[in-house]
Amino acid sequence: MSFFPGRFARRKAELDEEIQAHLEMDIQARMERGESAEEARAQAMRELGNVALIEDVTREMWGWVWLERVGQDLRYAIRQLKMSPVFTVTVVATLALGLGATAAMFTVVDRVLLRPLPYEDSRRLVEIKEAGRKGVVEFGTPFLDVQQWHERSHEIQEIAFYSMNKHVSFLDGSAGSTQVNAPEVSANLFAVLAVHPTMGRGFDGRGNDGSVVPEQAQSIILSDPVWREAYGGDEKILSKTVKLNGKPYVVLGVMPRGFTFPFDAGSPAVWVPIVVGDADAVRKKHVAPNYQVIGRLRTGVSVASAESELKVIQGDVVKAYSDPDDRELVTSVKLQRYDDTLVGSDLRKALLALFGAASVLWLIACVNGASLMLARGAARQREIAVRGALGASRWRIVQQLAIEGLVLSAIASVLGMGLAMVMLKLFEHELTMQFHIHEKMVANVSVIGLLVGLTVASALLCSMWPAIAAARASIEPALRQGGTQTNTSRAHYRTRTLLVVAQIAMSLTLLVGCGLLLRTIYTLRHVPLGFRTDHVIVANMTIPAYKFAGRNMTTELYQPLVDRVNHMPGVQSATLMTEVPLGTTGFKMTFTFGDKGHSPAELRRQDLAAEFRAVGPEMQRVFGFSMLKGRFFNEGDTASSQPVAIVNRAFVKAYLGEDGDLGKILGENLFVISKGKRAVVVGVFDDERQVSVAQSSRPEIEVSIPQITPGTGFYFGAEGFVMDLAVRTEQSPSLIIPELRELMRSASPELSTSTFTTMGQIVEDSYGSQQLAARLLMLFGGAALLLCVAGIYGLLAYLVTQRSRELGLRIALGAQRSDVAWLVLRQACWMLTVGCGMGLMLAYLTSLLLGTFLYGVKPHDPWTMGAVTILLLVGGLAAAYVPARRAAMVNPMEVLRAE
Amino acid sequence: MIGRKRYQNRIELLQGTLDMLILQTLQWGPNHGYGIVQALRVNSGEVLQVETGSLYPALHRLERQGWVRSEWKQTESNQRAKWYRITATGKRQLALDLSRWQQTVEAIGSIMLQPPEGEKA
Repeated sequence: MSFFPGRFARRKAELDEEIQAHLEMDIQARMERGESAEEARAQAMRELGNVALIEDVTREMWGWVWLERVGQDLRYAIRQLKMSPVFTVTVVATLALGLGATAAMFTVVDRVLLRPLPYEDSRRLVEIKEAGRKGVVEFGTPFLDVQQWHERSHEIQEIAFYSMNKHVSFLDGSAGSTQVNAPEVSANLFAVLAVHPTMGRGFDGRGNDGSVVPEQAQSIILSDPVWREAYGGDEKILSKTVKLNGKPYVVLGVMPRGFTFPFDAGSPAVWVPIVVGDADAVRKKHVAPNYQVIGRLRTGVSVASAESELKVIQGDVVKAYSDPDDRELVTSVKLQRYDDTLVGSDLRKALLALFGAASVLWLIACVNGASLMLARGAARQREIAVRGALGASRWRIVQQLAIEGLVLSAIASVLGMGLAMVMLKLFEHELTMQFHIHEKMVANVSVIGLLVGLTVASALLCSMWPAIAAARASIEPALRQGGTQTNTSRAHYRTRTLLVVAQIAMSLTLLVGCGLLLRTIYTLRHVPLGFRTDHVIVANMTIPAYKFAGRNMTTELYQPLVDRVNHMPGVQSATLMTEVPLGTTGFKMTFTFGDKGHSPAELRRQDLAAEFRAVGPEMQRVFGFSMLKGRFFNEGDTASSQPVAIVNRAFVKAYLGEDGDLGKILGENLFVISKGKRAVVVGVFDDERQVSVAQSSRPEIEVSIPQITPGTGFYFGAEGFVMDLAVRTEQSPSLIIPELRELMRSASPELSTSTFTTMGQIVEDSYGSQQLAARLLMLFGGAALLLCVAGIYGLLAYLVTQRSRELGLRIALGAQRSDVAWLVLRQACWMLTVGCGMGLMLAYLTSLLLGTFLYGVKPHDPWTMGAVTILLLVGGLAAAYVPARRAAMVNPMEVLRAE
Repeated sequence: MIGRKRYQNRIELLQGTLDMLILQTLQWGPNHGYGIVQALRVNSGEVLQVETGSLYPALHRLERQGWVRSEWKQTESNQRAKWYRITATGKRQLALDLSRWQQTVEAIGSIMLQPPEGEKA
């Protein structure tokens, strides 16, 4: 009946009773005056008048008649839609496609760009880094510099620092050992984030410099998930001792639920204190520990003004550096909002471009919907005219049609939500890799809010135009018999033509984007990687480094493990390396020379920063890369033999200059590997892609794992943080991975939580945002093409139906059938030409947005533009062919007789 | 036919004065719709006849504005009916309506009752 059926019906009944009582009292009074019962009733009823009308007018006073009308319209709309199922299904499917794509993309945008950080007023948090001759210093800042900033800055309210411990840490909980993140933090970090422990307290500061009092060196603060899962939410956890990496720590506090820091480090996390020591009292590179710095701006202070203030301070700070080379690297500072550091600007742009693409698809869907509604409006002209003639106001007719649109788009939005969920599921892996979204992707309030908004907007876009056109149409000609070829239908047709042209233009824009990315992916897939990727399984090991303190991990953990894997049935060869090419652990060792001086060779070496990897001697057999000069490591390279290293071609170019001969590097003493021993270059291997497929090779040095001992300078860096096991095998991954995991468990229980993947997958993942964008745009572009073709077909089919009499007449008067077909095709050609022209102009502008995604192809690649235009033209003409044929087949006798 | 003749010498109610008349009637005590019609008729010397088609919309409008309140009660002749009662805001509104009406009457009166010389001047 209405949206409040119970209450409304009760009030209606009451009104009935009220009027009835009035009638009864009148009759009573009349009978008392001596009228007969019948006469009294008749008189009373006559005096009362039209009861239904009275009740109607009275109800209007309640102010909610509109609700009743909406109810009526709703029922009428549903009846109407049921009567034309094909129309209903087409519009609903079209809109669902657009709504689904937009909702899915918005879910991602919401998660990645709009997520609130779990810190108070997080827009005031900034990351502070030093910068100098070699750009921004990523690895951190020594304590003395941080202290200076802290003391002298007025724009920044408080500065805290932390250090991401690169070790995998293990916490002994009540239910065994858990792998955790254990960043070291300054005493004021939680104060800077303005989040405080729910239980216990934070670290106490020593003085005012942010460092923690030495008495609390062995204290720990737990995150909520660690407290709940590892210690079962123990209420008396405070002051208890827990073991982190085998060492005892006293629990000082528990942080609130949802809190984590650093935000992108993943959880579960615990925090241990930074107690500054003697090493922090100098500014010497490789001696003083480096910290990441985060500050909170004073209210109303901009990042730029804080940065310029710190730059001035840094001018003084840098004078305290004794080493002139170190000084050059830190002459300036760089500030960035903390939340901006979490999503790279490339990703941000990529995401917004994709969201834009989804919105364009939605717009195309709406235009298609509007076009269909217009066609239907033309067919319903008579019905609407009759309603008008019977007294329906124009507003009422508009309302009726708008409600029909709303019903359609509401059904579509439910379907669209389902579609969005399916899409998110399909792209789950890519999204996780690209955006580090680890929670489940489900619609939240803002997504549903957007969907509701879009639904209403779709309804308005689809139905308002047709509704206003219908309401404006004059009633009289529409009611006249045979009035099908009226001016209104011609106006409808013109409007629909414009809509189809708009659709073609927007589709072309999407398709150009899609084409550019497909070319990018094609180019990327044909980049020579420099190694084989087939049949390789990679295990990223979680290394319990603390267990091997004071022991030789090379001989006690790694060598025995790799030997056992090599002896497994089905394994052709296995090797260890700090990180496989294109790996995503994010751990990187960089090699730099300590050269001083001003000769060209020395200057080159000062600027050289090489990737540094420790690899096993079996690596060449696993990855099958080629050596250009000299030899690869072999079994003869042991801890007691001459230390050796190999370098890649890019290294030689950087070391010897562009025209250097590769062979000249052999025998070069590059660096000290352990006391009194220098590593000698014995080979040059071909360039390989290290970080991503799209980035060209960087200089690289490799050393052999068997030659690394605890006495080696980089022993801990090479073996203590990350280690990948790469296995070449013909067996399927699903068979061999459990066996490998079991074998690793027996080597050390913590290793069983290592993550396994295949080299093929790692390569796929390294295509990254391009791959995701290409797939999504393919989906959107394909859908747009489909809608566009459907739009052209629908319009021309309508045209042929409308003009069948005229076409029949032409044929009867002697027109060739091909001429008649051409009449229809000409229309299609006109729309396609204008649409493609506009589309190319649009694409010219929008493809610039894709710039950051593209590899090996220019944003205005003429081949892509041409190919896509041809595709659209062919699709459009194919869609036009069917109605054109039907036009040519018109039987003049039949259509003229219908007159 | 008889009805129409009977209505002929009754004046139609001025637009807007109906609300005032209803509120005035309720000022004498709570009443139901039929009672209000009768009261207006009797007190106007059988001149004013309120149409039910105007009365009930007016009553419901007044109730929505909070000037009257209603409840279901029995009449003396044991008929269940909806009784309306004037509220405090209703009384204020009545005073306002009354003063406005008086102004209107005076204004109209001063035009209509001018000496005929004025016409000639």
